[in-house]
Amino acid sequence: MVTGDSRQQIIPPTRIHVKAGFVVYSPETGERSIIILDEGELTAIDTADGDRKVVFKMHPGDLVGVASLLEREPFHLTIEASKDSVVTLINEDCMESELKTLPVWLLAVIRALSRKTRKLKASLYDPATSNSLMSLAAYCSNLPEFTDIPIDDVIREFGWLTKVKDKNIQEDLKALARRRFLELKKDGAKILLMVPNPFLLELFVDYQRSIEQSGSWEPFKLSIMQKKLLVTLSTTNKDMEMDGPSWLSFLAERVKDINVAEWIRIQKMGWCTETSKGMFRVNPDKINYYLTALRFETNIRGVL
Amino acid sequence: MIVTAGEYVCLESDKANTLFIVKSGMIVAETQDLGSGERYINFGPGSIIDELSLLEGAPRQYTLRAAEPSELIVISRETLNDTLEQKPSWIGAILQFLSKRFHIAEENKRKNGLIQSLPPLLYIISSSLKRSNTNKLEVEALRKGLQALAGTSVENANKLLEILQELGVLKVQDNVINTSSLQIVTILYETIKYRALNKKVSPNILSMTDQMILSTFLKVARESSSPRPGGICTVTTKQLCDEAKKSMHGFTLTMRTMSSLVERKLLFPSATYDIRMPIEEIQFFYADFDKILDLVELNRIFPLLDKKLVN
Repeated sequence: MVTGDSRQQIIPPTRIHVKAGFVVYSPETGERSIIILDEGELTAIDTADGDRKVVFKMHPGDLVGVASLLEREPFHLTIEASKDSVVTLINEDCMESELKTLPVWLLAVIRALSRKTRKLKASLYDPATSNSLMSLAAYCSNLPEFTDIPIDDVIREFGWLTKVKDKNIQEDLKALARRRFLELKKDGAKILLMVPNPFLLELFVDYQRSIEQSGSWEPFKLSIMQKKLLVTLSTTNKDMEMDGPSWLSFLAERVKDINVAEWIRIQKMGWCTETSKGMFRVNPDKINYYLTALRFETNIRGVL
Repeated sequence: MIVTAGEYVCLESDKANTLFIVKSGMIVAETQDLGSGERYINFGPGSIIDELSLLEGAPRQYTLRAAEPSELIVISRETLNDTLEQKPSWIGAILQFLSKRFHIAEENKRKNGLIQSLPPLLYIISSSLKRSNTNKLEVEALRKGLQALAGTSVENANKLLEILQELGVLKVQDNVINTSSLQIVTILYETIKYRALNKKVSPNILSMTDQMILSTFLKVARESSSPRPGGICTVTTKQLCDEAKKSMHGFTLTMRTMSSLVERKLLFPSATYDIRMPIEEIQFFYADFDKILDLVELNRIFPLLDKKLVN
């Protein structure tokens, strides 16, 4: 006669009564299990250094060993009964048989919490930034210019600041050197690094950031007319101050077909800035920024 | 729950105690991520969203919108409670344990993010000040630099500036950072770097006795009218010993107690010395006033900084 039961068979947990002093779990010999204290008192003891250090005490309702069983994390504490106690032990087979009976969504919640915690823990060792080349350029732009620095010192310090691995740092250093933003030279057994122009590295950081965010960078989007306007403004006396219409006619004399829209764009790009009400002046820093970007376009793009 | 394309399911921060499971379609989650604008995540079939709302009634983590016609299963708190009632109590305990452990990991990540951002912040301030040779730096330039160097969020940058302000290392006014001295940030950075890279205490960290002697030296130097060409100040041994007796609770200075500072070239005796000779045989001590001042300040800040970051 068939007397089968279609339900999953559940392996029941083990319930034990223990006397004070009984070792419920020992890291050397213990089987992985969740320990739930029903009555009495348990003590978690660290014996790693040869001494017995009490780490915490467990009271009825407390449990340990979840991470050990679910995540297979090592559990290095000894659990000992400090009073006569009643303990429930859930081993791997018992837990799995019970988890199999849970609705799928509840199992998914348990898995999601475990996965998210694992991800958070692992992220503590991840590099601080996903773009290690931009990060290294930002670091190097802050090094003193025209100063020889041992490359090992740079790798060590930058690695500490960002947790980027040495191998990746070396590759990124080569990428910056290939763009001529850094100079590398040998001095005996040492390799020295020198930053000839930190400003180029700053531009490269802006380029990388802008490419990441919007896929393009303003200095490399200029039209022919805008480039002509940029060159014109670069040769204009920086102390010259005029209102908008005067600037427009001044530029129209030098660059054909300029219109009001272009004048507004010039202001937006910061090439001319308002000094007092309605009066404008050339901003030499911004002009230099755009001109240098264009001059070193192949270096910045890395297409040398 | 059936949602049409473009329809909103819930708004970020709304009160909630339900969980969503995407049965079909695609749900887009938006969240405000400080420092880098809005962040989007796609949830396809099988994804579960907002498990903490179900377990703890946590506010909605995202604003959810259907990218295409979608079907969601909503699990309520009642369903959870009914399910757990039919199960052994340790299943509920496991859920509690896992959510507690998740929060601990979140908190560790947050604290770690702040602690890890301090060295890059000090590096940028220190090198910018050295380059410009002023004690001013725009906050926006710092934020941009930090974001590029270490991916530091605006929130963490602001928190660190706040901590450094509280410790008197710098002041933020009108979005400009002013440091109390040109060197203090650099010394602080070098000290942290030394500890991290060499796994031992930096020579900049002084013993309590050395700190007290230097503080006494500074006190006498400030009160003394002796000129300080090139920042070098001179204090007679008598003045130093008298002040030490007063401010160091009757402490008697000897060449032995002074020797560690002399060997570290922080204080210089007026003549060659031997640790066995009476201190009175040295007429005066001299030192770089600003260097000593920065070092004493560093030793005041250093233990406090560790505490503030951890808390």
